Amino acid sequence: MPANFTSFYFLCFYAIILLIYYIIPRKMQWIFLLFASAAFYLLTGNGILILYPVAASLVAYISLRLMTGTEDVKKRRAALLFAVISLIGALVALKYINFGINTVNGVASFLGKAENMITPLQFLVPLGISFYTFSILGYVIDVYNQIAEPQKNFLKLTLYGMYFPAILSGPILRYREDGEQFFAPHPFDYRQVTFGMQRMVWGFFKVLVISERMNLIVNTVYDNYVQYPGAYIWIATICFAFQLYTNFSGSMDIALGISQTFGIYLPENFETPFFSKNISEYWRRWHITLGVWMKEYIFYPLLRTSAFTNLGKKMRKKFGKKRGKQLTTFLAMFILWFTVGIWHGGDWKFVIGSGLLHWFYIVSGELLAPIFQKAMEKLRINPKGRWLDIFRMLRTFFLVNIGFVFFRAASAADGWKMLKSAVSVWNPRILVDGSLFMLGLDVIEAVIALVSLLVLWTISCLQQKGQVREKIEKQKLPVRFLLWYALLFYIILLGYYGPEYSAAEFIYQGF
Amino acid sequence: MTREEVFATLNEVFQDVFDDESIKVNEETTADDIEDWDSLEHINLIAAVEQEFGMKFTMGQVVTMKNVGEMADIIMSQTEG
Repeated sequence: MPANFTSFYFLCFYAIILLIYYIIPRKMQWIFLLFASAAFYLLTGNGILILYPVAASLVAYISLRLMTGTEDVKKRRAALLFAVISLIGALVALKYINFGINTVNGVASFLGKAENMITPLQFLVPLGISFYTFSILGYVIDVYNQIAEPQKNFLKLTLYGMYFPAILSGPILRYREDGEQFFAPHPFDYRQVTFGMQRMVWGFFKVLVISERMNLIVNTVYDNYVQYPGAYIWIATICFAFQLYTNFSGSMDIALGISQTFGIYLPENFETPFFSKNISEYWRRWHITLGVWMKEYIFYPLLRTSAFTNLGKKMRKKFGKKRGKQLTTFLAMFILWFTVGIWHGGDWKFVIGSGLLHWFYIVSGELLAPIFQKAMEKLRINPKGRWLDIFRMLRTFFLVNIGFVFFRAASAADGWKMLKSAVSVWNPRILVDGSLFMLGLDVIEAVIALVSLLVLWTISCLQQKGQVREKIEKQKLPVRFLLWYALLFYIILLGYYGPEYSAAEFIYQGF
Repeated sequence: MTREEVFATLNEVFQDVFDDESIKVNEETTADDIEDWDSLEHINLIAAVEQEFGMKFTMGQVVTMKNVGEMADIIMSQTEG
């Protein structure tokens, strides 16, 4: 069974699990979910690698046991350190050693030294390591901070760590809010099960109909960017923005939908991010659970270390209250954004594209804010105007897209070359002379893609105003029936799936 | 310190941190009510409150505090006696 939610085999697997889940005694439901999660891990070809998430849960279990037995601060801290070092150690060893090696090699070849000083290592990275490590680690830290209850049952802890809807590409879980519902009995609730399935259908629409189509254009241009310069890069990058969004948020719709059919609510990861008016807001609406995790477990603790508080005091003395405070925050944010970037993968293209570039945006935004404000007053622009909001959304989308160029390019260097090509080659005629239809989507396919994006856009606008599924529920039966079946047939007819298109791999599960 | 006094002092700290004389905090005030109270300013605010009252919030309190009322509860429980 391929490791994705859109394969036919996965749907069969899920149907069997769902059926059994509501037949067995409710007390056994959580044990069964643990069994299903282990089966999912094994069936997706991870074999022996299943020992990694089990070992991570064991580390958390031992750490929690050590912590709960004592009030002694030193012992509690030692237990926490044990968990942090083991969990982060495994993550760094498996995901980032080659990043270090490649960087050293890169510097060496830049200095004219031998080609490869150190040979990169070959590892099999266990499925979902970046996600389960963060879910488990956050929980251990919360117990240390005494805001979460320690779970005394090792098997329950393992279910929390390996829960199959969330293992592929998140969301990152938070035990103190999501934990207990895993183990509670869940009677069959027709409404929740249908809601969950409807959400899955919506996710399939995003992934199979939109994302897979965008993928064709993106691959053509990004794999041959020398042949496709200038405006091609603009178009392909916008397509990639929609590909990544529909792929990642679509896989979240499926994950949250599946979980809802089990009566378990996972945290939301997206809130129509492309409607954000600035970069900070964008990060509160894109991959929300990662942002919250980073804030609580990296950014806040960092700013509260004595090193940072002392630095803050010194800076305030030297540069004045406001500037001093700002400079200290900027430094902490640099570390934060570096971490966000590298979380996505051990490669400079991620460190720049979804890390430091965003740090640069936020810092420049803060520094230039007074100038912008003065300019707006001079030009008499209404700061609450509708057009200004639209301008801000477009600007934010544009800035985010520059990051996506690095993110999608083969390497940071390729990303840079593509950006140069995008601004230096003037070929807008390709937008109108039909060249765009040679990139992988012919006229009909492109129309399908555009109509689907329009559907997505309309639903997103409605989502901003409230719950769409509840609104549909209030419609008369024939209307509801027509709406959901129309969507279902749309996906079946127009989705890219099946043997020849089995590539519906979730982009974010590589992380 | 009475609760009124705690709130009066908190008001000054908030006005100072957010650079806005018009801020008036009450039991139910949350980050949504004050425009500049985002995750960046949250830690600065916490540090300023700690300095003013001569106390320390734990990391757990920093992330779970729901509103200014809860903040006042913690301050009062730590500055008693």
